[in-house]
Amino acid sequence: MTDCGCDKAKKDLEEYLHNELDKDDASDIREHLQNCPDCTGEHHLGVVLTEVVQRACKETAPEDLRTQVLLKLRSIQATH
Amino acid sequence: MSASAVLEAPPRLSHADVDLPVMTTVTEDLGPLFESQALPYMDQLYAAALRMTRNPSDAQDLVQETFVKAFAAFKQFEQGTNLKAWLYRILTNTFINTYRKKQREPYQGTIDDLQDWQLGGAESTTARSSRSAEAEAIDHLPDSAVKDALQAIPEDFRMAVYFADVEGFAYQEIADIMKTPIGTVMSRLHRGRRMLRDLLADYARDRGVSAAQTPGSTP
Repeated sequence: MTDCGCDKAKKDLEEYLHNELDKDDASDIREHLQNCPDCTGEHHLGVVLTEVVQRACKETAPEDLRTQVLLKLRSIQATH
Repeated sequence: MSASAVLEAPPRLSHADVDLPVMTTVTEDLGPLFESQALPYMDQLYAAALRMTRNPSDAQDLVQETFVKAFAAFKQFEQGTNLKAWLYRILTNTFINTYRKKQREPYQGTIDDLQDWQLGGAESTTARSSRSAEAEAIDHLPDSAVKDALQAIPEDFRMAVYFADVEGFAYQEIADIMKTPIGTVMSRLHRGRRMLRDLLADYARDRGVSAAQTPGSTP
């Protein structure tokens, strides 16, 4: 696993994960990942991290808040 | 332009029976449009506000204030541009101007300058062999542990991670929302995610949550 482009890949993995790489760089990474278990593991960990954060941060606004905001907006409109 | 599609969307809230005064001014005309376009983001804004303020009561106040401000400024919003990013910008500004002062964030303003070693093992390495175990363990942590870890990392890092990973904003959009250069966004994201990962891995280890645990293998 020497000189397989790991340094570059590791550096870019986060941007790859966030879809911030241009097409060429992204396809380089994709290709590299197919041949490098080490970077694939690192990438997988990054994906899992994103997924657990997404999962944990799901919230539903309290019904109260919805009502209050609507009332507030309506009252602002009514005074104009 | 895709704006027309947005404009043609019928108001989702059927409050036709609500007694509203006759509408004549621009602001009044924008009311239904604002309600149909902006209010659907309430859950997301509330979730972000919770991560910012760290308590439900402040989060609710922050969201309400954000909608009031956004409505007042809605005339300036350019239809067809990113409404969600626009709302998040107002949310973030309102938080910084109103709520951050109340909170204890001793390193605010200097956190970006701290070196990784000062942030505590931020670049500790994980042995290759254990990386999949680490992923597995993190994947099985309860949401409460993930929230705790998020709350434990510095606010600017936390929000960069939130904007990128939960909301899926592009780096440039995050830079606009947080009013920082894109390089700072990348650095905050990288360090925030690194800290989060280390905290979660520690948590998993402390709790004995491990991929090595096979259900039923021990009594």
